[in-house]
Amino acid sequence: MGYINTILILGGINVIAALGVSILTGYTGLFTIGHAGFMALGGYVSAILIKEYNVHFVLALIVGGAFAGVASLIIGYPSFRSRLRGDYFAIATLGFSEAIRLILNNAKQIGNLNIGGSFGYSIPSGLINVPVILIAVLVAAYFAHMFVTSQHGKNCIAIAQDEVAAEMMGVNLLRTKLTALFISAFYAGVAGGLMGLFFAYQSPSFYSITQSSNLLAAVVFGGIQSLIGPIITAFILIAAPQVLLVFESWRLIAYGFLFVLVMVFRPQGLLGYVEMNLNFIKVGWKKMTATKAPHGKAVH
Amino acid sequence: MSDPILNIQNLTVDFGGVRAVNNVSFSLTPGEFVGLIGPNGAGKTTVFNLITNSIRVTSGNIVFKGKSILGQSPDKICQLGISRTFQNIRLFPQMTAYENVELGLHNTPRYSLAEAFVRTPRAQRVEADTRRKAHELLEMVNLEDHADKRASSLPYGLQRRLEMARAMAARPDLLLLDEPAAGMNEDECEELIQLIRRIHDEMRYTMIMIEHHMKVVMDLCSGSRIYVLNLGSFLAVGSPEEIQTNPDVIKAYLGERRNGN
Amino acid sequence: MDLFLQQLVSGISIGAIYALLAVGYALVYSIYNFTNWAFDAFMAFGAIMAFIAIASLAMPFWAAALLAIVLTIILAVGTERLAYRPLRIRQAPRLFMMISAMGVNLTIVQLMNKFFGGTFRKFPVESVQPIFIGNVSIGRMDLLAGAISFAVLSLLWLFLYRTKWGLAIRASSIDVQTASLMGINNDAVAVAIFGLTGILSTVAGVFYGIKYAVFPMMGTITIKAMIASIIGGLGNLPAAILGSLLLGVLETLVSGYISSTYRDLFSFIFLIVILLFFPNGLMGKSGEEKL
Repeated sequence: MGYINTILILGGINVIAALGVSILTGYTGLFTIGHAGFMALGGYVSAILIKEYNVHFVLALIVGGAFAGVASLIIGYPSFRSRLRGDYFAIATLGFSEAIRLILNNAKQIGNLNIGGSFGYSIPSGLINVPVILIAVLVAAYFAHMFVTSQHGKNCIAIAQDEVAAEMMGVNLLRTKLTALFISAFYAGVAGGLMGLFFAYQSPSFYSITQSSNLLAAVVFGGIQSLIGPIITAFILIAAPQVLLVFESWRLIAYGFLFVLVMVFRPQGLLGYVEMNLNFIKVGWKKMTATKAPHGKAVH
Repeated sequence: MSDPILNIQNLTVDFGGVRAVNNVSFSLTPGEFVGLIGPNGAGKTTVFNLITNSIRVTSGNIVFKGKSILGQSPDKICQLGISRTFQNIRLFPQMTAYENVELGLHNTPRYSLAEAFVRTPRAQRVEADTRRKAHELLEMVNLEDHADKRASSLPYGLQRRLEMARAMAARPDLLLLDEPAAGMNEDECEELIQLIRRIHDEMRYTMIMIEHHMKVVMDLCSGSRIYVLNLGSFLAVGSPEEIQTNPDVIKAYLGERRNGN
Repeated sequence: MDLFLQQLVSGISIGAIYALLAVGYALVYSIYNFTNWAFDAFMAFGAIMAFIAIASLAMPFWAAALLAIVLTIILAVGTERLAYRPLRIRQAPRLFMMISAMGVNLTIVQLMNKFFGGTFRKFPVESVQPIFIGNVSIGRMDLLAGAISFAVLSLLWLFLYRTKWGLAIRASSIDVQTASLMGINNDAVAVAIFGLTGILSTVAGVFYGIKYAVFPMMGTITIKAMIASIIGGLGNLPAAILGSLLLGVLETLVSGYISSTYRDLFSFIFLIVILLFFPNGLMGKSGEEKL
């Protein structure tokens, strides 16, 4: 039972982070291999708040996410500004992510706060269980859906498909990209915080390029411009290897191979451009409430 | 005589050693419809690119509604009231025709980010309003039936019309059309002429049209004027009749005639 | 003062390695407009091939290096053909090219991890006495690395600016479509560019391996070269070299005077600060979009 619990919780955490990367990469077309850095930032900030300052875990998660969001703006603003449209952003986030991991690995102290370096930083446990994660995932998915279907989200999609045309049609590239970036970093930060709460400790080893690759894989395989695709894939990518432990060491090799194959043969991924249609939930709810009517008559 | 809405002064752009646009000046009063023609490589699209600041001006000034717009970002220029279509169509390929048009309407979102996350009644009203306007524009260009088709799947002629609808969605005062009739046959040109005339009459835009199809240019610019560009400089300006009989213009298009012939 | 000079020397020697990588990165970027993440893998592959040639096949150093270069060229050109060209001819968006590149990188690096092992190996060359100028020691290998980098980059410059091939490449970097209309074979240009990438990454990899160690993840240093390229100014080869030397020196000074833990953070912050004040890099020219 504990085993299935672990899969559900870790899967859920991965889904939340993947939703963020989906908004940035799948919907806005911005490549990132550095989101583990935002997870690390959010994770450690929320962990410190919980352990040292007794902040309620929900508030701590939000603050952690906000920290990650602000950091992302500091990276994003100079990266997106140039008219040269270079890959500044991708390189900067990778640089940031690696720098954070190395510091967390080597620095045992920040000020007079002991954060454990590579040994990790332990925090109180028992705050996370499946229902909590389920709620978190539902909330995250809901807001992500609201964003991508909004006018803000549609501007992101325009940027992904033709940035130059979008700008000429009046879309402010910098503002739109920073918005998508902030949201994606926030999601990653919250996911990092949840990770620490589940394991009852934070460690820099959680936040390597492998983690970033996991997130990118969820979007590439799950589908461009889709939320449901990455949600499914993010979960499978966590759940499946647990079942096929034998293949764990081949995981990254498989990713690499599949990245190329997907790009060459089916760039839209599994469910690209397929959107969650809340209609099917409404229909299902109607059916359920209809059959539950006490006097047997259908109620709508 | 009202104030000019667009005033181009001594516009020049150099690319390395090549002077693509040379000391071009002209102005338009609100509501005018003018043509811009010239042989290939004359610099016509470059002029459009300079107006929208996709290319930086080397020297000269562009004054729109009384203020210089040099150095403004392209999205700001669009917000100020200049919109365009492109020589090589630049629609959002995976978006539907409807979504392409709608984008012009919400290039700056009409409600806040917070309202995006929690769709307030006001935000929903805004969206309904946007939807209505987008459909109106699609109807105006006769694309209502294709609203839900992916832009990349539409035939070429329809794509050109869609680009026009999208450009109009951005609420311009000045509309720049770059070869709207490219690739069209006789009948399609005729339809296009009617459409552009209707758009100009109903929406009262100031318009500049680059075009190679002489029939389209002469027809739409009758009563107005046509600018002829060659090798980056203005060769002539005049009414369709004047331009058609101008020997310099003819020479520029057809090249020098051989000796004795 | 001696410490400072020593750091300077050290910084320049790592800067030379960055320069080779930065130029390789800038070459691909200026023509194809995307970041070749697989560069990472090429560098490690080149170093490891040379290592195996010396350690297991007992080849002399120069032969091993040459063999490694040839093998890496094949790898690089093969990558282009299989993973990039199909996307290039469809004019796929930059995002897709980068995903494919990252895929290649992951596959090659992780395969090397599996079969070569992740332990740090010492490159099998004898250590030699460094040269002393005053109290400052300069490793002979560093001198050799510097000299060879200089030679390679000079040859590259000659190639690009004094041969017809180079002209074709430069034309492609300005406008691929027009270049092909003028009769330049895009596929041939691709082979040339990626072949050059193979050479540059192998030379850099071998010297890095000698200076530090050989291991599959050694390619992560290329991120520094990319940062250096941006700092200098993207799309500009001399700027890439300038940025590399600058970054190498500054980084080493930070590492020496402050702490080596913060060296990478410094590079990253330096990048952000430069971009804030020089959005196109120190020597960058702002590009125009073709409409």
